[in-house]
Amino acid sequence: MTSHIDGGVPIAPAVDEAVVVAVRTLTKRFGDVVAVDDLTFSLRKGTVTGFLGPNGAGKTTTLRLLLGLAEPTAGEALVFGRRYRDLVQPARRVGAVLETGDFHPGRPGRDHLRSLALAAEIEPDRVEEVLELVELESAASRRVRTYSLGMRQRLGLATALLGDPELLVLDEPANGLDPAGVHWLRGFLRRFTDQGRTVLVSSHMLAEAAQTVDEVVIIDRGRLVATGGIDELTEDGRTLEEVFLALTEAPT
Amino acid sequence: MALLRSELLKHRSTRTLLGLFAAMLGLILLAVLLHSLLPAEQLADRHTQLMVLGRGEFLGALFAALVGAMSVTAEIRHGTIRPTFLFSPRRDRVVAAKVGVSVAIGAGFGLLAGAAAVAVGAAALRARGITLQLDGRDYILLVAGSAAAAALWAAIGVGVGALVRHQVPTLVGICAWLLFVEGLLAGDLVGLGEVGRYLPGSAASAISGQDPGTLLTPAAGLALLAAYAAVAALAGAVAISRRDVG
Repeated sequence: MTSHIDGGVPIAPAVDEAVVVAVRTLTKRFGDVVAVDDLTFSLRKGTVTGFLGPNGAGKTTTLRLLLGLAEPTAGEALVFGRRYRDLVQPARRVGAVLETGDFHPGRPGRDHLRSLALAAEIEPDRVEEVLELVELESAASRRVRTYSLGMRQRLGLATALLGDPELLVLDEPANGLDPAGVHWLRGFLRRFTDQGRTVLVSSHMLAEAAQTVDEVVIIDRGRLVATGGIDELTEDGRTLEEVFLALTEAPT
Repeated sequence: MALLRSELLKHRSTRTLLGLFAAMLGLILLAVLLHSLLPAEQLADRHTQLMVLGRGEFLGALFAALVGAMSVTAEIRHGTIRPTFLFSPRRDRVVAAKVGVSVAIGAGFGLLAGAAAVAVGAAALRARGITLQLDGRDYILLVAGSAAAAALWAAIGVGVGALVRHQVPTLVGICAWLLFVEGLLAGDLVGLGEVGRYLPGSAASAISGQDPGTLLTPAAGLALLAAYAAVAALAGAVAISRRDVG
């Protein structure tokens, strides 16, 4: 890769190293529908942040804007101080699992990983490492259509981990996992952040989220309704679920 | 280079390519054998012989276009376009790699399609005791022209797939265009007449030396189809770079 010098004055102010994700006045409209409405929040290095909201609140849209899969109508969503697509080797900095089933059913799991590793120039040994990490080695030669939902979730996680990223973005990762899988995922995320890495995990499974996350960002109808440490939000003795329902209650 | 290897592995790691290849060969066999049942006096004509042996070019181009189109639409259909663009956010480069790999596979499809049609057609005509009116240049054009036409139609397929995005309309559209829409437009029904030979299917047939005198020369057909391929691929790359991924 050739590096080129932009020259002159930097466009953005000096990047705060501790801020991994910076979402500022982010807005996304689809016709008349405002999916994300003037959303601002940031993520600090080394935390697990729960991105919570009812179905249709705009969580998935926000994650897609953050990952450069969709263009914002207004505002910006930056990772490590840049737009995702402006990152050098983005797969080595950010890993994402957006949905279950982003696989070709007729392609073996290992080939799914290898094709992406090739594209991002990730060494082939790393494919075997992540397969081992998510305990899919024995199924790696089978076509994905033979996988259970939980196996697909783990293959998705393996995809996200291919580049050994510093930030992991997970959209509803606990869907389809059995209790042992959820337990495993929780332990995995804890070890991941213990290495100084960062996780953004969207969920509407509040009891699970309450056990896993340090910080929460709660949105409703595209707007931010609360953000902060989970301890602060629940310090008056209410559970996360009670806080969430009070904040996201439909207006009468 | 990395992206080309990635795209090639995507083709190799499913059974789609093998299925399309088998379907193409089966249809060529069927089309050539059915045409070799035409009346003997008709088959004695050089133009008819070129047409019968040219079924390889026709079906090779069609299936190469499907290969190119599915390299985009299958990714959209199964959602793998998302990890693909996360691992390589420069979407124009992804499309370029898809064009490169599809053109190579298309050339292979076209070469084998052309050779199969020539071999089966020639054998069938000889078996009926019909003298072949073709010379070495005709055979070379039939096979090499088929490879070139299919290679370029594969690039058109990538472009159309990236523009239309949905798999079924893309594949149905390509099949309909090549199988009868273009024929209707160029034929007596609409009466485009002279203009008809500038359509992309006719340009492909011209490359393999079909209908000399009516269609363009092989060289002109090649240049015209290359222009269609470049425009389609470019339009597809621009469209997929600008639109959101669902």
